[in-house]
Amino acid sequence: MASGRDVRDMLGLPAAGDGQKMAVQKRPKPAAAVRKIQGVAREVVALYGERPPPVAVYEEKKTYRAKRQSTGPAKKWIQQPFMNQARNDGLVLKHWRRKPTATQSGLTNGEDTAMEDVEAAEPPLETNYDFAKFNVGIDIPVFTDEEYDVHLRSDDWSREETDYLLDMVKEHYYRWAVIWDRYDYNPSTKLEPFSRDALHGDPNQALATLPFAPSRTRSVEDLKARFYDISAKLMKLRIPEVQMDASQYARYEILTKFDPLLERNRKTLAAALMNRSMDEVKEEEFLLAELQRINMAANRLDAEREELRSRLEAPIPNQQIAAGLASFQSSAALAQLFQQLFQQDRSKKRASGTAGGPGRLSLSGADIIGTPTAAQHAQMNAAANRRQSLAQQPPPTPIRQLSPQAEYRFNVSTHDRLTSGVTFGADKLLKMRQAKSNVQTQKIGTALAQLGIPDIIPIPTSRLGEVFEALVSKVGKLLDVRKVREKEEGECRILEAMKERRANEAHGHAGHNGENGDANTGDGRGGTPATSTTNHREIQDSQERDEDAEAEADADEDGDVDADADDDDVDAEGEEDEDAEGEDIDIDSQAPSQSARHTSEAMSTRVISQGHKRSASVFSQTSNKSSKRARK
Amino acid sequence: MNIPNSSTAPNANEYAGDEVSAIVLDPGYSTTRAGFAGEDVPKSVCPSFYGHIDSDSSPQYFFGENAIHNPVPNLEIKNPWGSDGIVEDWDTATKIWEYAITSRLTGSKPGNPGKNGLNDANGDDMDIDIEGLENMEKPLEESPLLMTEPGWNSQKAREKCIEIAMEEWGTPAFYLQKTGVLAAFASGKASGIIIDVGASITSVTPVLDGMVLKKGVQKSPLAGNFVSNQIRMIFKQSQPEIPLTPHYKVASKTQVDAGAPSQAIYKSFEIPLMESFHRHEEERVLTEFKESVVEVWPGPGRFSNGTNEEIAKSQPGRPFEMPDGWNQVFGVDRYRAAEALFDAGAALQDAENPRPKDEHTIPRLVQAAIQQVDTDQRPLLLQNIVVTGGSTLLYKFNDRLNYEINAIYPSTRNKLIAPGSVVERKYAAWIGGSILASLGTFHQLWISRKEYEEHGVNIVEKRCK
Repeated sequence: MASGRDVRDMLGLPAAGDGQKMAVQKRPKPAAAVRKIQGVAREVVALYGERPPPVAVYEEKKTYRAKRQSTGPAKKWIQQPFMNQARNDGLVLKHWRRKPTATQSGLTNGEDTAMEDVEAAEPPLETNYDFAKFNVGIDIPVFTDEEYDVHLRSDDWSREETDYLLDMVKEHYYRWAVIWDRYDYNPSTKLEPFSRDALHGDPNQALATLPFAPSRTRSVEDLKARFYDISAKLMKLRIPEVQMDASQYARYEILTKFDPLLERNRKTLAAALMNRSMDEVKEEEFLLAELQRINMAANRLDAEREELRSRLEAPIPNQQIAAGLASFQSSAALAQLFQQLFQQDRSKKRASGTAGGPGRLSLSGADIIGTPTAAQHAQMNAAANRRQSLAQQPPPTPIRQLSPQAEYRFNVSTHDRLTSGVTFGADKLLKMRQAKSNVQTQKIGTALAQLGIPDIIPIPTSRLGEVFEALVSKVGKLLDVRKVREKEEGECRILEAMKERRANEAHGHAGHNGENGDANTGDGRGGTPATSTTNHREIQDSQERDEDAEAEADADEDGDVDADADDDDVDAEGEEDEDAEGEDIDIDSQAPSQSARHTSEAMSTRVISQGHKRSASVFSQTSNKSSKRARK
Repeated sequence: MNIPNSSTAPNANEYAGDEVSAIVLDPGYSTTRAGFAGEDVPKSVCPSFYGHIDSDSSPQYFFGENAIHNPVPNLEIKNPWGSDGIVEDWDTATKIWEYAITSRLTGSKPGNPGKNGLNDANGDDMDIDIEGLENMEKPLEESPLLMTEPGWNSQKAREKCIEIAMEEWGTPAFYLQKTGVLAAFASGKASGIIIDVGASITSVTPVLDGMVLKKGVQKSPLAGNFVSNQIRMIFKQSQPEIPLTPHYKVASKTQVDAGAPSQAIYKSFEIPLMESFHRHEEERVLTEFKESVVEVWPGPGRFSNGTNEEIAKSQPGRPFEMPDGWNQVFGVDRYRAAEALFDAGAALQDAENPRPKDEHTIPRLVQAAIQQVDTDQRPLLLQNIVVTGGSTLLYKFNDRLNYEINAIYPSTRNKLIAPGSVVERKYAAWIGGSILASLGTFHQLWISRKEYEEHGVNIVEKRCK
């Protein structure tokens, strides 16, 4: 058991004062001394601790049948005569009782002792009979003749029959079924001796033979109606309605509201219900079973509908926080909640660092909610390193390994690390469409459009995202390759043009001018300084042609071209060389189909972009150089 | 102290008992039961049949099981009961009842030693004997008497009962209670409908709170004796006729094959025995047959319905051996004897035994009884259908009764209460009386001698409702 000291230790409280401690230690001692529990093993008592249970259940001692103790000679029994006070005829019956001992009777009555000495003496009569108290009567309304004449007279009931009814009620203790059964009022009571023999036979027959036999028999309802009527009227006479208390008035109301007709109808219905045939009973049973079945089905249906509705309903925003972790799975608003939680927990999370296992979303949740156990732990380890404790706290959740097929089937994905928050697949796809520059974005868009991929993909599943990513990367490579091709083509043209020019220079000056005129027109567009030499112009010319195709790639190409062109140039840098080599390979493999071999080539977009930058710088250099060259 | 268990008697305080050594007398057509109140079985059960040898000088009466089966010349076997279940021959009935009480319970009081004949040299002096009888104390001087009566008992018969008890037996207190109520009490019920199938009368008694509803009491002669007559007819009508030979005729028997004529040595009597004795002895054999062979078709449906007879034929038979060795396996016939209790149309008939009335069958009796009861009480009664009487021990009787009642009242909860033990079934009314007369609260109900002397026999009508 944990003592107070342990608890205090756990709570990190300072040890209690000495006086307190003494009090705590002192108390159990006298208690243990006073309450020594018997019949329980010492070890068990030890387990009770300071507070033994209030009632110890144990056998006092082994209960064998008690040995018969002989207490002198056999006690005598006598047939004790007794009189029952419930009787008024003084009938004396005898029952067996223990013979009272001499001392007892001597104490009670001195005369009896003397009588006891005589063996044949009659035992005293017992006059206080135990069972007499069970003789209870009932209250019956009583009335005087005047009262009867004034209030209770009825056309249907004679005074004699009313008295008879009251007698019957009293005799049979309000058992109406019995009263009705025994009710045999003979109005010609005077004639009874005369018709007595006839009555012994069939009573109905006997009554029929009488000259003024009652034409009808009273039903239970008639009897009840008369009796209740009398009772109510007498009750009102004795206690006026105003003075009746609640129970009395309730009884009065019941008495006055008795309706024999209603009662008769009810009984007819009850009899009809009882006398149903087997078929009707079975039909009813069948219908009841059917009803039950329908009810059950309805309940189930309702439950299903309810569930469906609850799924369709958007969660109420206010519930977010209250619902806590429970609502993490369902709604869009949860992203917000999660962000919020993370904001609150950021510092702690940072502290715990990445030491926590992957995907430990529950950690943050648990910390924020702060379950009691967590609080206890925290308090317990208050002295210890907080960070450490937090890092240690969550038990590593075992990750169940699924087969690839199963993973595919259940759409399970494992991640080394989850990004926080919730993202939409559609957003992800949209991001993939966007490149660094608008031009590139447009290019990707057109390429995808050519492939017949819509702008918005209806269900952006993660797998679709992967495929789309692959596709977009391919598109990017395709665009790169296309760019390279055009650059190489342009270079080829320049070289050819140069070759041609050299051939022309070798031939003569005539063709020169015509070309110059061309160059001039290009000059005007390109806005190049008019002071440039023909050589310069030529180059410009080619540049302009490139510019027609692309604005940006132009610069690259030019730069590259220059680098390539000045192969033998001292200016050429190592990087450029490498670049050129790569491009050479590209050129080799270059085909209109832009084969997959391109993709396999380790040419990430980054590298390409670096190449762009560098080539841009190169261009600037080369352009300078070319201008220098031109000046030369 | 002893731990109370099922075999120890309950403490009197537990059941509010107070025993005043009252005697309970439950007379019936077949047997008369008597015993002390508070006991669980009647100590004295003796046949209600008596032997009578009519001679001019001194008519002799024989009571008790041992006396009436003696093949004595000129011995007539008679029964004081009438066919309507009410005593006809009161003088003899009184003697039988007195025999039942004194033979086992109180004993005859010792008379004056000088006159009781024991000390006389020749004890056959009639004058002294008669004088001694008159001086003898009356048998019930010490004990109150609770007597049972059928539900339809006439006022005259009731008055006769109290007269006998008070005048002839000298009981200090008397009470008369109906068998139906007592049988219900024996089953622990204050309300219920009691189906009592006895020897001569089948009765149905609705009881409410310990009081018989007189209008509902039904009786019919389709009871044990009727079944015996049916068996006789079955024996007579079968081909070849089945011989019915009582025990007293057979000196020795040898084993024969089933259905083969018996090979027994019969006793010969110089003076032919009386027909009534013979018939009574035959009844003993028939009782044995009822106990061991007769079966009630358990339902569903009547025995004559549809394929029920075919089904019954496929059941294994029950063998029975007559006292003379004749034996047979009874198949479908054993269902016929008791069928008429439920289906009057199935009764075997001949000139002496006309077709019983339909309204005398047990289901119709129950229906009629229920009909006479207030509607509100009917379901209560049907929940407590107490089955009692020796003839209800017929095999499968309760199954059939249950089926029949459920067929009449399919919409109520009908429950048969039929005690399993034979004694409780046969002596239910006596046991109920034993319970009633040993209750402390009952003692205020006794009609005392004083009251009887004041009011005369008429008091029984007022007090014993």
